[in-house]
Amino acid sequence: MTTYTICIFTENTFGLLNKITILFTRRRVNIESLTVSETERKGVSRYTITIKHDKREEVEKLVRQIRKVVEVLAVFGYLDDEVVYNEIALFKIATPIGTRPIDIETINKVYKAWVVYWGLDYVVIEKAGNEAEIMDFFRYIKPYGILEFVKSGRVAVGKTPQGLVEYLPQEVHGEYYA
Amino acid sequence: MDNQLTMIAQQEIASAEAVLTQETAQPMTTTDVIAEGPRFLSGAQALMESLIAEGTEVIFGYPGGAIMPTYDALFDYTDRLDHILVRHEQGAGHAAQGYARTSGKPGVCLVTSGPGGTNLVTPIADAIIDCTPLVCIIGQVKSTLLGTDAFQETDIIGVTTPVCKWNYQITHPDEVPEVMAKAFYIATSGKPGPVVIDFTRDAQVGMMDKPYQYKKIEGLASYKPRIVPKDEHVQKAAELINNAKKPYILFGHGVLISGAMEELKAFVEKTDIPCASTLLGLSAMPIDHPNYVGWLGMHGNYGPNVLTDQADVIIAIGMRFDDRVTGDATKYIRQARVVHIEIDPSEIDKIIKAEAPVVGDAKEALRKLLPLVKTNNHSTWRNEFKKFDVIEEQKVTRRELKEEGEIKMAEVVNMLSQKTNGEACIIADVGQHQMIAARYYQFKKPHSYIASGGLGTMGFAIPAAFGAKKGAPDREVVAFIGDGCFQMTIQELGTIAQSGLAVKLIILNNNYLGMVRQWQQLFFEKRYSFVELKNPDFVTIAKGFGITGHTCSERDNLSDSLDALLKSDKPYLLEVIVEKEENVFPMVPAGASVVDIRLD
Repeated sequence: MTTYTICIFTENTFGLLNKITILFTRRRVNIESLTVSETERKGVSRYTITIKHDKREEVEKLVRQIRKVVEVLAVFGYLDDEVVYNEIALFKIATPIGTRPIDIETINKVYKAWVVYWGLDYVVIEKAGNEAEIMDFFRYIKPYGILEFVKSGRVAVGKTPQGLVEYLPQEVHGEYYA
Repeated sequence: MDNQLTMIAQQEIASAEAVLTQETAQPMTTTDVIAEGPRFLSGAQALMESLIAEGTEVIFGYPGGAIMPTYDALFDYTDRLDHILVRHEQGAGHAAQGYARTSGKPGVCLVTSGPGGTNLVTPIADAIIDCTPLVCIIGQVKSTLLGTDAFQETDIIGVTTPVCKWNYQITHPDEVPEVMAKAFYIATSGKPGPVVIDFTRDAQVGMMDKPYQYKKIEGLASYKPRIVPKDEHVQKAAELINNAKKPYILFGHGVLISGAMEELKAFVEKTDIPCASTLLGLSAMPIDHPNYVGWLGMHGNYGPNVLTDQADVIIAIGMRFDDRVTGDATKYIRQARVVHIEIDPSEIDKIIKAEAPVVGDAKEALRKLLPLVKTNNHSTWRNEFKKFDVIEEQKVTRRELKEEGEIKMAEVVNMLSQKTNGEACIIADVGQHQMIAARYYQFKKPHSYIASGGLGTMGFAIPAAFGAKKGAPDREVVAFIGDGCFQMTIQELGTIAQSGLAVKLIILNNNYLGMVRQWQQLFFEKRYSFVELKNPDFVTIAKGFGITGHTCSERDNLSDSLDALLKSDKPYLLEVIVEKEENVFPMVPAGASVVDIRLD
């Protein structure tokens, strides 16, 4: 199984998430992660969807099917080495009095993670990185007692010199953010 | 609709109008609509104006609670918009499909929320797979009631998303002109398909804040299909075609949709390439054209199927390699280099890899290709098809047309073909009779075979027939319908009677769900599981609806029966009792390779 990152640029309209996800469902492709955000152009949304698939051909077909959705402006499918990608995770770690204190220095310097909130009996640590890095940190911090663990979907940018919005149809004259 | 609901609905309109009177300085009257100058219309009126602006002539529909304000507006537009009241919303959808396929214009449906919308889902699914342009306007509860399980509320956007080309919910009257322009553009452009407009009641009743203005759309930022193919694509295709020893054209519905019939003819005549049609491409080429070799697929002709295996270059035009055409796709045309002319890029390489894809409209592609291809002579290759024709004639056609025993479906179709000189518009329902109609009718005019191809929707024919007649009133429209199919939309006889559309219906009655029975005979050891029908007296039923008809059970009466049907200037029903266990051959068993086609 190969991981593919599919970047979809769409108009920001109602119900579009459903129109896109049903294309995966119909082909029995499981969505591993999904992130939606507005792009540097106003009114243009960017979906980053990761899937695992063993047939590149099928993924290409899927990409073309997604492009067929009327509100979709452009679709790009990538292998992992073609994109720079990251995820972000939040760990809520129990820190009751009397237990082993967490080692901030290791967390910061070795794992490049940061405490973003100090509660009375817990801390919230933010760790950004790829899946393997986040899981490394997960294993490290687990003995301290994970109260909650949440991880975002992948966000990714292509390793091309141009921005992907350059590929959007010329008619899309969305404003750039300052 | 029951009286109580009507009352409630009227009260709702009254109260909505009261609110409007308070909110807008000038209450709406009919004269305002006609008056010149800036026009402030209600959403429902704006919809009517938009339909007229798009050249809509007829609406197929059925009123109900949530669409009543629009029906009320329609009441003032009956001089410009014809409306055909169907008996079930499914009928409206299939009628609109029939209309679209003979007229070339999008079919427009108008139905209410909830069950009105869900009843329309089957035709919408049928239209997306057969690329038929429909604009379906479906009423919806007030926007404030959305998501509350209000009376007749269904999430029709959610329901139709997987089966339509585009859908949109209008919740404010101001949106109407722009959304309708988009709807018509999307439905008719590129690969045509159904669009769904979910029209909330408050958007129908409410007044537009801005003057009504209509501007047609000719492209969207996110959707603008390529019509004229790229030069390099066309050149590559021409190169392949010019170097081919045994080139073979497979054309489909796309030729009819783009109106490329003349271009295709010019192309095959210059290159002398044999061409075969898919089921929905039938009638795009006259059947007596020397380059036309027959039709493809599960019950298609022998040679056209088998010889796909010998062609060195396949030129696919406006077709999508459906599994009913390819049989086992992993074994299909593996020796051939493929040119694929197709307007929808997602079809390229979907089933069959194309060495030379040409993305664009079939008509434009053939126009561009014509000067680049060499004049050629492929008579030896074309003659190979004739050898197979002889075998098919001996083993299948002769047997099916042999005048002995009970009447066979093929005889009926063949005789009708002769009597109408191959110029009628044939509507077929789904099953054995559909395949027989395709096999034995000698099509001479385009847009003459209208059937549910991709979805195989039983019950398609009765409504599609009167829709087709509406779209082509000067043509003889004859529907072949099985006894099973007939009972799926039998209520539309009422629509036919009321509209007076002179469609001719022929029931080929074998008291079986024939195609399923054939499969059970061939592949399920003759275990006839729930396929025999105890049928009503169809002629009496038709009579009850006010439609004349009669039954023919003797071969000697068949010719006179068909004459009576054709002579009638009113709708007519002919029931022909046919052989009970006739099978359709040739046949490619499901999942087999097309070369394994069976002749008996």
